[in-house]
Amino acid sequence: MRLSTVSFRYSRRGPWILKDVELTLPSGSVVEVTGRNGAGKSTLLRLLAGFVPPSRGTIPDRPAVVGYAPDVFPVGQPFTAADYLAHMCRIRGVPPASAADLAVRLNATHLLGQPLGDLSKGSAQKIGIIQSLLAPPDLLILDEPFAGLDEQTRAELPVIIGEIAARGGAVVVSDHQNQLRDFPGAEHWLVADGRVTVGALPAPAPSDARTSPSPPIPSAEPSPSSRDVPQGPSPRVVIEVIVDADEADEVEQKLRAGGYLTRRSS
Amino acid sequence: MIHLVRFKLAAYGRSHRLLQPTIGLFVMLVIFYSTLTPPGKELTAYADSAGLLILVFAWAARGLLDTEPSTQRLISMTAAGRPGREIGAGLLAALIVNLGLAAIAVGFPLLHGFAAMPAPADLARGVALHLLGLGTGTALGALTSRPVLASPAVSMLVLFGGYVALLLISLTPVGRLAVPIMPWMRAANAGVLDTVLLPVSAATLFWIAASLLLYARLRRLNP
Repeated sequence: MRLSTVSFRYSRRGPWILKDVELTLPSGSVVEVTGRNGAGKSTLLRLLAGFVPPSRGTIPDRPAVVGYAPDVFPVGQPFTAADYLAHMCRIRGVPPASAADLAVRLNATHLLGQPLGDLSKGSAQKIGIIQSLLAPPDLLILDEPFAGLDEQTRAELPVIIGEIAARGGAVVVSDHQNQLRDFPGAEHWLVADGRVTVGALPAPAPSDARTSPSPPIPSAEPSPSSRDVPQGPSPRVVIEVIVDADEADEVEQKLRAGGYLTRRSS
Repeated sequence: MIHLVRFKLAAYGRSHRLLQPTIGLFVMLVIFYSTLTPPGKELTAYADSAGLLILVFAWAARGLLDTEPSTQRLISMTAAGRPGREIGAGLLAALIVNLGLAAIAVGFPLLHGFAAMPAPADLARGVALHLLGLGTGTALGALTSRPVLASPAVSMLVLFGGYVALLLISLTPVGRLAVPIMPWMRAANAGVLDTVLLPVSAATLFWIAASLLLYARLRRLNP
């Protein structure tokens, strides 16, 4: 699948969201898409999925079976999770057992009898991911799939992504939380200023608490050595933010959603 | 695509949105047939019913197409295989709902409303006019549904305003080239419907097709 000089804008006189984007998405590839809010990530995903045609350019060779999980699953529907997934199975022409198997794998069997409207964000996210996987996708598009997921599902999802890629499917993940940072061979697309820059995923910071916690913060005042840390082509500034431990996850998630890199020091 | 149609119909039915146009339909039918239609005037009554119920058909179609959240429409597009199938399934589901409402509109006066059973030919003409009415209503409802007009207030205004405009335009000399609602009512009342049925059907079907194509085009740009 390719994006050949693709440009997109929502109206004839509107601003260009994407300009002359050239991308190749080979079979078996895994791509993490990042960019600031409003940079055009969701638009890029919509173009890839075929929801909207490009204003200019072409997108040839889109795979036949596309799975799509939105960033916010639409819970405002008058179905239980099981009814909803049964409908999706019929539409996709797969047996209902597909949904049951995935529910077991994503720790969602207890959700199946619940009305969609009663699901929490994380639970709804699971149903959204399950429906995207009902038919083995040749192209899987996940928009912020890790938000709100429990640890077990958060660990299982990269395994599923790996299986799809190993089968020859392409996977594109918009992810502010950088959960695929350790994924072998994953590409990174950075969306900014209407362009998409292709590169390898940045290596995880050695001081990242999830891999190797750094020493405690000695004081609220940043040390001179930590002010400027070269990361990428332009220098970055380190700002220490001290929060209560029970708010740490929420603050970190918000910062990552804003496109900032974070690391914990205690 | 049939399973996607069933999904949309199930969502519509469970959301209770069907109640609104159904209640509207029965209110209008009770008003239409509050006094018995004398023998020989059944086709006139059917022609009026088909023209006036366009508003109910449009309301039902709009309600059905508004039932699915916008993100679910995207999911349905991938599940169905391509966007065109989702758009087609929505229109087909709306047509099915309106076929049911039109069947009630045609059957109701047979039980209560007509003093005598209409001739089979008049019954067939009544069915044909209701098919034209439901097609027109479905197209109007689609063009005023949320994917096209995001604001509910604007949507309702355009739906009612559009219907009134259709009626007014069909009163003018160019009415036969638009959706000729008033001409088919007048012709039925004058007993000359057969002489105008073909051009009336052609003009109506043309506008239905043009409207649905416009809807499909707008949906591709704004899924």
